[in-house]
Amino acid sequence: MTDQKNAYETRIRFKFYKKDEFKYLSHLDISRIMIRALSRAELEIRYNQGYNPKPKINFSPPTPLGVESMAEYADVLLDGDINENEFKTKVNLELKPQIQISEAKKITTKTDNLMNEVAIILYSFKLYACSSNNESLLKEFYAEVEENLTTKSDFSSSIFDLQITPGKRTSDIILLKLFGYAKIFKEENNEIFKFNSFYQFFGNWLRKYGIDIENVKKEELFVMRGSTLRTPIEVV
Amino acid sequence: MNKIKRLDCNLLERLLKDVEKPGRYINNEIGTRSKSPETIKDFYDIVFTALVFPDIYEVGMSNLGLQILYDIVNKHECFSAERVFSPWIDFEEKLRRQNVKIFSLENRIFLDSFDLIGFTVQHELLYTNVLNILDMGGININSRDRGNRFPLVCAGGPAIVNPQPFSKFMDFFVIGDGEEVVISILQRVKNYRDNNKDKQWFLKEISKLDGIYIPGFYKFYYYPDGRIKKIEPEKKVRKAVVKNLNKFEIVQDPIIPNIKAVHDRFAVEIMRGCGRGCRFCQAGIIYRPVRKREVKSLIRQSIAGIKKTGYDEISFLSLSSSDYREIKHLLDKIISSSKPGRLSVSMPSMRLDSLNLKLIELIQSGRRTGLTFAPEAGSQRMRDIINKNIEESEMLDCIKMAFSSGWERIKLYFMIGLPYEEDKDIHEIVVLIEKIIMAAKERLSKKKLPRLKINISINAFCPKPFTPFQWAAQDNTANLDSKFNYILKNVPKRYVNINWTDSRKSRIECALSRGNDMVGRVIEGAWKNGARFDNWTDFFKFQIWEEEFKKAGLDIGLFTTRNFLEDEILPWDIIDIGVSKEFLLKEYDRSKECLRNQDKI
Repeated sequence: MTDQKNAYETRIRFKFYKKDEFKYLSHLDISRIMIRALSRAELEIRYNQGYNPKPKINFSPPTPLGVESMAEYADVLLDGDINENEFKTKVNLELKPQIQISEAKKITTKTDNLMNEVAIILYSFKLYACSSNNESLLKEFYAEVEENLTTKSDFSSSIFDLQITPGKRTSDIILLKLFGYAKIFKEENNEIFKFNSFYQFFGNWLRKYGIDIENVKKEELFVMRGSTLRTPIEVV
Repeated sequence: MNKIKRLDCNLLERLLKDVEKPGRYINNEIGTRSKSPETIKDFYDIVFTALVFPDIYEVGMSNLGLQILYDIVNKHECFSAERVFSPWIDFEEKLRRQNVKIFSLENRIFLDSFDLIGFTVQHELLYTNVLNILDMGGININSRDRGNRFPLVCAGGPAIVNPQPFSKFMDFFVIGDGEEVVISILQRVKNYRDNNKDKQWFLKEISKLDGIYIPGFYKFYYYPDGRIKKIEPEKKVRKAVVKNLNKFEIVQDPIIPNIKAVHDRFAVEIMRGCGRGCRFCQAGIIYRPVRKREVKSLIRQSIAGIKKTGYDEISFLSLSSSDYREIKHLLDKIISSSKPGRLSVSMPSMRLDSLNLKLIELIQSGRRTGLTFAPEAGSQRMRDIINKNIEESEMLDCIKMAFSSGWERIKLYFMIGLPYEEDKDIHEIVVLIEKIIMAAKERLSKKKLPRLKINISINAFCPKPFTPFQWAAQDNTANLDSKFNYILKNVPKRYVNINWTDSRKSRIECALSRGNDMVGRVIEGAWKNGARFDNWTDFFKFQIWEEEFKKAGLDIGLFTTRNFLEDEILPWDIIDIGVSKEFLLKEYDRSKECLRNQDKI
């Protein structure tokens, strides 16, 4: 393992989003798209030595199909000395507007694999409820979120925190923006938070109050440094 | 021109919820080049054509022909081509349930808003998908019931070189190479539309072009037994041929699918046509004459294409790549253009002999997937009859060399039910496989032998139009099944994995490919009773087809297990494919001669 700086190679961690139509592409599709974009940008990815050489690029844990993400991360090892801004500009030119790199930073410290290191994922849920819903049902919903969902439900152990940001009130729809931190309980069985089961559970739970999920977005990933949460870019 | 109607994006969003592989329907790949109302001033002056590939996205996007036509049409300032594929079952259900018409990927234009709809049909078992797509577009499937001037509906591709079974559905057919004729057609569509001419005028105009067959202009007369008595007029339609392939550069910036396509690589056609003359092979005749691309520009364009696409695999396509004279030079140049181990090169249809094995070693350095051989038949006698020009010793030498240099996976293609086939020929298939296993035991190390995998694919022979065997009878399903079972029972179980195409599926394929215009009713009935994706084993329902043939009063045997008479008028005689019937007949006679010569020995 060479973690010393090598003039002939550059390790870069970058953050990118996939939104609009591209939320319908799988993790594997996205990684293939990214690798080809790098190749079109004439950036040489290092390959490992093996029977079937593979490019040295690692991605953060998969985002479920149909969920937009503002926080996809990847680590890549490149040939040559590459400036991070140049990297970002060059690759973005080879990508569609639905998938673009938002940040890139050279890795200068020792880091663990993104897949293993991510501790917490922040999802935002945009909810909507018809204004014809009675007010008391909504009040009950607010109370339940704060009291029971985070502490007593099946998924309480995977919900780190919940914040509700009430949306603007239009004539017939009330938009709610709710932030749910979904935790990975890696300490137990190294298993990644089962987003789909939570999604199903949460959808059913909301239905009791006449509320539907309109949109889900992966907002950010966090890793642990000591006892604090940091974004993957902050720690490299 | 009709007002163009498009699917609203919010509706698409709702439709895509809980659909399998939604990436199939979202467009926005790198390389899409259609014109959009936001960028083109005279958007509504453009002639819009839907390029329809009647199979799922992953299959359609692997078709080079589609990419070529897409490129040519969209380069033209007056024309625009948009893609349409068969939606998968779940998405179709959703569209139908919500009364939403099928739409193109690029601008989400509903199918019935196009000026011209062109189907590229690669296989007979996709016929029902074609009808299904028309119906999902709210378009009447029968040509004569389409009263409106638009959209015009046509079909091209290898599965319509005999257009008869499909003639009642199409306004016209395009036979042969599409590169040149597609623009000629679109120019006439524009004239027809802008000057408000009538449909007969348009059909007359395009009928002057090479390769255009208009079913409405012909009349077929039949004998009571179902054979054709007379076709009027007799004048044949000459296949469209691009004389010089070099005139069209290879597509260097194709659409790069966002989801994984069946063939996910940069595809380059190096040669069109094949000079080998296997007597069962339709492609070998209908793509004649042999035309090759000039090697220098091929190298330049290939390297440019790899750079532009970012693909890590390139595939050189032709019907017989080892017959491309400068193949070694081409490979050397391409491989040395990229870093070692980064680019993999594949070459289907490579004739395998010891000479070529060295080439294959060269291109697959590092990435060994497997070797494919197509002996087609087990015995030399049978291979002589079909004119498959490969000796067993040659093949075995090559396989031995492959084992010695470490290959562990081999794929073999065989056909059963060939003309003049006898039980001993079937037995010889088993013997050949045994010989290959022996060779493996001899050449592979103890460590490697357990990893040996021989995949065998067995297909039922299906006589196809425009081949020397076009007159031959197809073997009946009971015979085919017992031949296959014999192989299955007698082939060593270890190391071997056998694949077999349902013989009843081959029977329907044969009936559709050698059918006359009365078969159209059968296709329509089968589709109405739920037949689609017939090429998918899970969906193919023989009963539906059998029932429909019965209902139409047609004997399937008339098109399959019958020897066509040599002086009989064939449904596809109306097409001049570039190879004369006399030549085909002579070749058919030669196959019988092989038989006689052998009998003398």
